[in-house]
Amino acid sequence: MMINLLLIFPIIACLIMLIFKAKWMNNFFINLYAIGHLVVSVLCAVNLPVASSKYFLVDSCNIIFLLILSIVFMAVAVYNNGYIKHETTDVKRLRHYSYMILIFVLSMTGAIVSTNLGLSWVFIEATTLASAYLIYFNKTKTAIEAAWKYVYICSIGIALAFVGIILLTISTGNMNSLSYHDLYDSAATFNQFWLKLSFVFVLFGIGTKMGLAPVHFWLPDAHSESPSPISGLLSAALLNSAFLIILNVYKITMLAGCADFGRGMMLVMGFLSLFITAVFVFHINNYKRMLAYSSVENMGILVIGTAIGGVAMYAAILHMIGHSLIKASFFLTSGNILEIYKTKKIKSVAGILKTDKKTGWLWVASFLGIVAFPPSVLFISEFLMIKEMITKGHYILCGLFVILLTIVLYGLAKAVIRMSFGQANLEKNYDENVKNVSFGMYLPQVILLVMAFILGVYVPKFLDVMINGTIAVLVG
Amino acid sequence: MENALIIIFGLTMLYMAATSRLMAHVRILVLQGILLFLICYFGIEHADILTILFLTFETLIVKAIVIPMFLNKIVKQTHEYRDMEANIPHFYCLVISSVILFAGFLISDFHFPAIKMINPIYFGVSIAVIIISLILITIKHKILTNVIEFITMENGIFLLSLSVAKEMPVIVNLGVLLDVFIAVFILGLLVNRINKEFDGLEVTQLSDLKDCEYDD
Repeated sequence: MMINLLLIFPIIACLIMLIFKAKWMNNFFINLYAIGHLVVSVLCAVNLPVASSKYFLVDSCNIIFLLILSIVFMAVAVYNNGYIKHETTDVKRLRHYSYMILIFVLSMTGAIVSTNLGLSWVFIEATTLASAYLIYFNKTKTAIEAAWKYVYICSIGIALAFVGIILLTISTGNMNSLSYHDLYDSAATFNQFWLKLSFVFVLFGIGTKMGLAPVHFWLPDAHSESPSPISGLLSAALLNSAFLIILNVYKITMLAGCADFGRGMMLVMGFLSLFITAVFVFHINNYKRMLAYSSVENMGILVIGTAIGGVAMYAAILHMIGHSLIKASFFLTSGNILEIYKTKKIKSVAGILKTDKKTGWLWVASFLGIVAFPPSVLFISEFLMIKEMITKGHYILCGLFVILLTIVLYGLAKAVIRMSFGQANLEKNYDENVKNVSFGMYLPQVILLVMAFILGVYVPKFLDVMINGTIAVLVG
Repeated sequence: MENALIIIFGLTMLYMAATSRLMAHVRILVLQGILLFLICYFGIEHADILTILFLTFETLIVKAIVIPMFLNKIVKQTHEYRDMEANIPHFYCLVISSVILFAGFLISDFHFPAIKMINPIYFGVSIAVIIISLILITIKHKILTNVIEFITMENGIFLLSLSVAKEMPVIVNLGVLLDVFIAVFILGLLVNRINKEFDGLEVTQLSDLKDCEYDD
């Protein structure tokens, strides 16, 4: 019942908006859905497992993903109230924007709570289609280009993932089901050749959506051209939903006894993501693109952690939580900077701390969080991963990991320090723009960052239990 | 009978590789839709009425009528009738596609034990169609041709799913159809937008978003 509520509410809300076309409804329904989403997720977390039909289930495996989505969506909804007022006054555009946010969150929720691989595929493709309009929202030339690349690359990637699913059904032999539960149960009998082939396709296909190199090309474009709240949702929630599907398919390969093959592929893609970020973040000239590349890097870290396994798997889940909280805050703060300076160019922005102290400190704090400066939770997760690599004797991987992370840190730090400190352009007066940034555009970031930094010092008991529950399901 | 139809289906890709007229590409999509319908009709021996209705709707209505009509409209709106400037001459396109299709037939001829789950000729041709579509996407220069090749790739995937003698749940099938249909629709709308904002529909024009030299 509760899950059905999550999936049906946005459709009803869209219909009501379509019929009444009242202006106040646009933000109202987004906020209502955000609150409802958070409440339902928390209720689900308390009463695990919650099943609604044979297709949807919240259990100890996906509850963390659902909770992150709820928290990020709540933050984005609060931020959006202040943000969207200055973006456009066109009621029709606002209404379309609201429809699409509702559908987008609905499809992400669907992808997370599906118990069937085919259905997860359908919802992941639906996220592409729903967010296409959101990326195109500004209607500039570059926004069209970004939206085109996004829809085209992701559609092809996801079509290839479907080939992977078909190959998986070939490997299952006589079984006729795609439900995760059945797949896990009979994984040991699967044909390994077809399963390996299928994993390649699924990893590349869903990896496109997750933003893993070398199939990440849509990500910097889409994240930099979409409105900032949408960038936050894309980066902090959408990539995780794709990650969950990869984890589930990886578990099938593990149960079928060809985990080594999957592990190798994931390590290659993970390190390639780190490498690509390290190369591109160096000469970057657009701060939203910089954040997008940082997402590619962090997705790389997630698959590396998963591939290494053991404690690193725990670290990967913790890293995902931390990345979502901090990256959402980072993208929302970049929205403030865009509002004040009206440019995405790093060179045109200087002295944020003098122009607007609150935005400046949020920017610096988000940066410290994302580069794993203690007590950020990412410090703990990356530390655990490095420790696990050393314990397992992967010294070369460990060295590569540390060097690449350091280069990324240097690239990010160069840009962020340049933007935050120094003297603002005195010829321009930004005071008027600073007034546009309302209280609601600071609050969500503060809360997200406080959560991320507290988790770095102290992981509460219930969260620890939840993460271990997720790992217990995924590792089997 | 269905083997002959599948071979014709594979051959349509060769025509696709050789021709530069967009209207001809759209007509091939109609032909592919009808061929897929006939393949379903002859290939499926015992299925319930719901599956047959669904497959008829998917192949005959959506793939052979609705999508080609929509693309036809876009071709007329954008006045782009030819895709001349491919990266390599059309003749080489044809040679590459033929080689891949031949490789597809060779796969169908192999009888190694792992392949016993599936119908080999379906499998070989569908893989060849998917790969030819992907290669044509990288070679051709108009974004409208890219959309058409995306659809032929989806047709190839459809044939691949027929090669497995098992069905997905109806809810998944419906979702897949809906998603593909909306994806084509959105891509079509974006083509129109790009035609208005940029001068022409060349892929090479979509290069404003860069990492270095960014300017806003």
